[in-house]
Amino acid sequence: MEDPIFDRAKKKLRKVERITLVASGKGGVGKSILAASLALTSANRGYRTGLLDLDIHGPSIPNIFGFNDELVAGKEGLIPPVVNGLKLMSLGLMVGGNPVPLKGESKRSALSFLLAMTEWGDLDHLVIDMPPGTGDETLFCLRALRNMDNAGAIVITTPSSLSRSVVARLIGLLREEGMRIYGLVENMAYIKCCGETLRPFGSIDDDFLSRYGLRILASLPIDLSIEERIKKGRFSELPGDFRYQMEKLLDELVGVG
Amino acid sequence: MHEWSLAEAILEAIIPIVKHESAGRVSEVEIVYGEMMELELDILRFALEELSKGTPLEGSRFMFREEKASFRCNSCGYKWDFEQAHDTLPEDLGIREGTSGDRESPIHFIPDLAQALMRCPSCGSRDFEVESGRGLRIYKVVLEG
Repeated sequence: MEDPIFDRAKKKLRKVERITLVASGKGGVGKSILAASLALTSANRGYRTGLLDLDIHGPSIPNIFGFNDELVAGKEGLIPPVVNGLKLMSLGLMVGGNPVPLKGESKRSALSFLLAMTEWGDLDHLVIDMPPGTGDETLFCLRALRNMDNAGAIVITTPSSLSRSVVARLIGLLREEGMRIYGLVENMAYIKCCGETLRPFGSIDDDFLSRYGLRILASLPIDLSIEERIKKGRFSELPGDFRYQMEKLLDELVGVG
Repeated sequence: MHEWSLAEAILEAIIPIVKHESAGRVSEVEIVYGEMMELELDILRFALEELSKGTPLEGSRFMFREEKASFRCNSCGYKWDFEQAHDTLPEDLGIREGTSGDRESPIHFIPDLAQALMRCPSCGSRDFEVESGRGLRIYKVVLEG
């Protein structure tokens, strides 16, 4: 018999109109910022949007939004706080500054409860900030979303050769497990300086894209003002270039249907 | 209060079995739950009875069996139980019940967070195994008709 908690988790995911996984092969490529920005843009456009932080070991979504209030529970479970018009959920809201050294079955069980016990209400769009790599959390998520045609992934990487080689492994896993990949987001692609546009990590070449049958959905700049905005609790005021790219990315997702 | 949500999950898992087996009703259900879940059985039983009205589980006998939690440290080999584990949990973390205003431990909602929030009572390591006492499973369903 199926685990009733996991079964409930799957049912809750099935009820969401659109689920977008934001995944990366390695850490430090800007995955959480992309997930948070995309969710924010979606909420600003009027979609009922949730942002789920599945990065167990490094939950950072509450920090990005500067949210550290006490979590509230209702009759059905955990009520996601609404911040900047979107609903947030993260283990970070429950563990404070404690490390989360979960492994194996404990990790899968914790994720199952988190998904099953969160009261999202009706959602048009759920953005999931995935942990980096191809470990337990990624496998769990792929299992929970198996055969659901409302879900797809955006893979984020920097243009560096190291990042690309790691992301290729993730793309392989997503494909093998039947997860739709909308395309790549190239982060830290360029920086504007002294009237010039510089590409410090090079470019993702066409060979790479054609080998995996993918296209670049958005190229995001290195923008130091984002860090400043987070520090000042004003992340929701996305900088111009970034906001434009997020709008474009959301258009792409909506266009896929 | 998330017992209502668990009750729904249990019923949603059993009803398809009743249909699949073309049975008329369910006379007995046995549920095994981990001690780490800190379940309030009275509420869970009441929720199951209420939510099963009008379904093949109406009038069913719901039985519960607790699986005790046990832990083993990978660093020093010490073994301990949930009562001892509870003493090591931080008291400053809680989730507020919207209806009563009471504060509950996060492990009431996500039992495995106990593993994130506690340490070996002997050596203080966070590297330990949960040997038993997590999760919830439907152990037995007796069908009739």
